[in-house]
Amino acid sequence: SRFPALCVLADSREVCSGPEVISCLRAEHGLRVQVCALGTSDYIVSTCLAVDRLLQSELQSPSNRNKLSQRLQRLQGSFQRICVIVETDRVRPGETSRFFQRTQHYDGMLSALVQAGIKILFSSCQKETAALLKDLALVEHRKGAAIQVPTEPEGHRRDILNFCLSIPNLSYSAALNLCHSFGSLAAMAN
Amino acid sequence: PVTAASIVVPYGHVIGNEKWRGSEVAQRLQGKVRLIFEDGLGLVDFHLSNGTCILLISEADLVAGDEFKRRLVRFRNASSLRGIVIVEKTPISDQYYLGVQKLVVLELGMVLLPVANQGEASQLIIQLVSFCVREQSRDRGANPFLRKQRAQLAEPAVLQTVQQIPGVGKTKALLLLQQFGSIHRLCNASINELEEVVGQTAAQQIYTF
Repeated sequence: SRFPALCVLADSREVCSGPEVISCLRAEHGLRVQVCALGTSDYIVSTCLAVDRLLQSELQSPSNRNKLSQRLQRLQGSFQRICVIVETDRVRPGETSRFFQRTQHYDGMLSALVQAGIKILFSSCQKETAALLKDLALVEHRKGAAIQVPTEPEGHRRDILNFCLSIPNLSYSAALNLCHSFGSLAAMAN
Repeated sequence: PVTAASIVVPYGHVIGNEKWRGSEVAQRLQGKVRLIFEDGLGLVDFHLSNGTCILLISEADLVAGDEFKRRLVRFRNASSLRGIVIVEKTPISDQYYLGVQKLVVLELGMVLLPVANQGEASQLIIQLVSFCVREQSRDRGANPFLRKQRAQLAEPAVLQTVQQIPGVGKTKALLLLQQFGSIHRLCNASINELEEVVGQTAAQQIYTF
């Protein structure tokens, strides 16, 4: 509640895969979380920063490599800064905690992320992930990149937002900014 | 001496701080990478090939207090090298991890990677070195996360975008683009020009949009 201006966009899939992250952001940290169909990333924390939440097992398994690289490459097309939060897998009830065997593949993936200039954070649960997202939002706010436009445009602005969203390599947050800065398409084009 | 200067690392080599000679990390690195020991590396533990270096924080450092934090801040202020901090995250030092992560990644803007022990640290360093070498040899395609610049056809994208205008489907979008050529010209078209291509209602809709 100390930072009423802080706003985070969450992808609609996160409602299922990370419900605790979203509710923690709202209830504990007092952030405004807007759920929308981002498609490209799990969270958008500012106009420049996109965050993807990865489970440790996803980074560990070689079969995920292609999917992950495509996803992050696409993100790099539309965001200046990218961060991944590597979250420890949840131990389901009845399951004894599995011993994490660090593989060469896992180290290789981390090295590749580092070399590509992608920020990496580690979290042990959804609650910690929420706290990290809040910290990231604060840092971005200090840099002056916070999302400050209304995130739910209506009527005509909604149409303009959809128009902007279809432009390749334009992020959701950039499209939001565009649709709020210009009243009409003609104004934007000129 | 608080040195964190850049030094020339021979291609494909790693230069290690003298203090690690004989340690578990060093023993496991030997044979896998070409490791040379040098005195007077100051704050840095290992220099990798291309302006990247490693600072190793042990479990004991974490538990002992804030000395390692001063070391990291001094490094950050003194050096323009890319610093990768590897920290020993064990059941004992786990409780400090979040605080360290906040300092290193969010405040200092450096890279932080946790390992469970010195053995894992050496495995990780080997992977980091191999990526450094590959990057130097300009084999950039090897990195799955580096974006390859590829020419993208604009036409299908423009067609998609034009279809977002209310009242415009695929057919009208094609007609409009044939007539006006670009989104910029389409936006500045008069209502009469639009009417020549699409009907009166659609022209009105496009014009007000």
